[in-house]
Amino acid sequence: MSESLSTIAAPLAWPLAIAVAWLAGELGHRWLSLPRVSSYGIAGFFMAESQGGFLMVPSGSTIPLLADFAFSLMLFELGFRINLRWLRADPWLGVTSVVEAAATFSAVFLLAQFFAVPMMSALLLAALSMSTSPAAVVRVVNELKSSGQVTERLLHLTAFNCVLAVVVFKMVLGYWILASAGSLFHAAWNSLMVVAVSAGIGVLFGVAVPVLLRSIGAVGRNATVAFAIAALLLTALTLVLNFSPLLAALVFGLVARHRRVIFSQAQNNFGALGDLLSVLLFVFVAASVEWKQVVDGAELALAVLGVRLVVKTLSTTLFARLSGITWRKGALTGLAMTPMSVFVILLLEHSRHLDLGSFEQVAGIAAIVIILEVAGPILTRRALVWAGEARR
Amino acid sequence: MPLEPFKASRSLTMGVELELQLVNLTDFDLTALAPDLLHLLSLRNFPGDVKPEMTESMIEVSTGVHARHDELLAQLSDIRDVMVVAGDRLNIALCGGGTHPFQHWVEQHIFAKPRFEQLSLLYGYLAKQFTVFGQHVHIGCASADEALYLLHALNRYVPHFIALSASSPFLQGVDTLFDSSRLNSVYAFPLSGRAPFLLDWSEFEHGYFAKMENTGVVKSMKDFYWDIRPKPEFGTIELRVCDTPLTIERAAALAAYLQALCRMLLERRAPPPVEDDYLVYNYNRFQACRFGFDGLIVHPRTNESIGLRDDILATLRELEPHAAALNSVPALSELHRAVAYEGNHAGLLRRLFAREGGVEGMVDAAVRLFRGDRPS
Repeated sequence: MSESLSTIAAPLAWPLAIAVAWLAGELGHRWLSLPRVSSYGIAGFFMAESQGGFLMVPSGSTIPLLADFAFSLMLFELGFRINLRWLRADPWLGVTSVVEAAATFSAVFLLAQFFAVPMMSALLLAALSMSTSPAAVVRVVNELKSSGQVTERLLHLTAFNCVLAVVVFKMVLGYWILASAGSLFHAAWNSLMVVAVSAGIGVLFGVAVPVLLRSIGAVGRNATVAFAIAALLLTALTLVLNFSPLLAALVFGLVARHRRVIFSQAQNNFGALGDLLSVLLFVFVAASVEWKQVVDGAELALAVLGVRLVVKTLSTTLFARLSGITWRKGALTGLAMTPMSVFVILLLEHSRHLDLGSFEQVAGIAAIVIILEVAGPILTRRALVWAGEARR
Repeated sequence: MPLEPFKASRSLTMGVELELQLVNLTDFDLTALAPDLLHLLSLRNFPGDVKPEMTESMIEVSTGVHARHDELLAQLSDIRDVMVVAGDRLNIALCGGGTHPFQHWVEQHIFAKPRFEQLSLLYGYLAKQFTVFGQHVHIGCASADEALYLLHALNRYVPHFIALSASSPFLQGVDTLFDSSRLNSVYAFPLSGRAPFLLDWSEFEHGYFAKMENTGVVKSMKDFYWDIRPKPEFGTIELRVCDTPLTIERAAALAAYLQALCRMLLERRAPPPVEDDYLVYNYNRFQACRFGFDGLIVHPRTNESIGLRDDILATLRELEPHAAALNSVPALSELHRAVAYEGNHAGLLRRLFAREGGVEGMVDAAVRLFRGDRPS
């Protein structure tokens, strides 16, 4: 009896979890003005098996693929909003980006040393801390329909620090492989080559898809579905080959933009498809985290979050006036850059094949992820509202 | 507050105000970046004046007072260059055109300033729908009575300015078939339209303005959204029917056309204006908005039906000596080219739409025109 019940219940778990999380998102938004994605995370965490809930995180099923696909759509959209020519018009934007990423890496690394975290783990933690998660940023910006300099700079700095974080993360992995296995080829392949080939796949898609769309005369309304299908294909391809779907999707968006295909506003977020998949993504990420890991790393996590927030905010404030914005908007840009959960979880997931043992190897990361899954979007939302950039 | 005294200024001097669109470079929709742009511009010397407008995706620039077209154009060009560089620093583009072709008015942010917030409360959705972009031209007048004379003598030429400046064929993503759809948005306001027919300033001041003020409907001249209105504190009349053109060259040429017309009218060779001139006013205005140069207008005195294109061409010929005297021949030549051969900017936008295959590509092309790149 109980066996047949579980046979029936198992396939129901994810659809039910998505329904519960969505409802939590709507109620949290209405009653507490919470960003919807924060509530998805809370719901996901408590429904997870490791917290006594009913939700298993299946490896090897289609759920992780769908989560990656959801994230690829967001990264594509982020890449699409990045204007590289801006770096020429405002060189201080580039300086801000490099400084905030480098300073975050250094500060978190030193802090981890202070907490006596092993070298490898400290390096990985520092690399991951550089990034701002595009998922929370893109969702909150779209939810508020915000526009202004904090919004624009937030999106650009997020895209840049993600690229920097992936590159540094892969370098650290390469170093680790070299140190542990002694194989230079293996090390180079898993760092330099993964970065280069993933970006190359993104470029290929960014060039080929617009050409294809133009040749079949489908630039207008059909582009949303076409880009979504391309993102799905790209995600599956990079996952199968053990490359980085994150980097590939971001580069895909970036190149497609600069190929002058215009993605009209009605298609923000990839419409209902993007909305649905984002529920799944945020539930998936929160459900990957175990309560025990959170408690174990809480102290380090809070210290890292504090340092990261201060360093990012200081960096963006320092160059604010040089970039032609107010100190206040500079500081709010730094505050808005707090989220990092989704990006970190998926980046670690993609390194599983290296027997890194992912979470366990990176001290404190589980606690960081779960705190920021909830707090990150809230801070981004507050920053945009305080900047007066949300729609009134 | 009673009407300010009319401050006399040098006759036939001119100044231009342009309301410009702030457009994001990703999907070419309007973007609420006026506060950031104003902050950046406040850090440097601006070659003119810059002000916020009703919604945060609009910005208004204005020139100083000029007697010559070339000097006006030079200042507009400096203003444009500073704005373009500032826009690049903030990752936004500036664009001309009387309407943004596909913005959703619901999405606009009202600029946080008491006057705009009051207007937004009073007018409701009309305030956000007023996210349209006009060019205002001021002409200096030696006296208040001269101002009222010119204001009414110009009535028959108002359709010329509508057709010459028209650059708002698209609204909410569709071709309205109007060359200037913007003026339809202005018309929704209760105090829009034409000024009352009064030629004597003291009568205007005491017999009209003071009474209107007593009704509580208006507090200052700013509350009137007339096609042409007197501006006592500047000592000017202000023509407000023009769409913001796609280029600053066209904007300067329109000012020069008005300057030359006023010079001709001040010779007072034509019969003085009368109230009955306004019988055909709204009809002619509609024809110009709807059909541009192809409109058919009715001459207020002869009741003859005339093509607007022919009427403008005839007027340009009449203005030749005045343009020569005012050193604005190149400006009138530009307008002549538009009327006789090239068409107005509404036509140009429609061609860009067809070429680019969509409204976003059309805005992209219009952005490049405003920057001063020639159409490819």
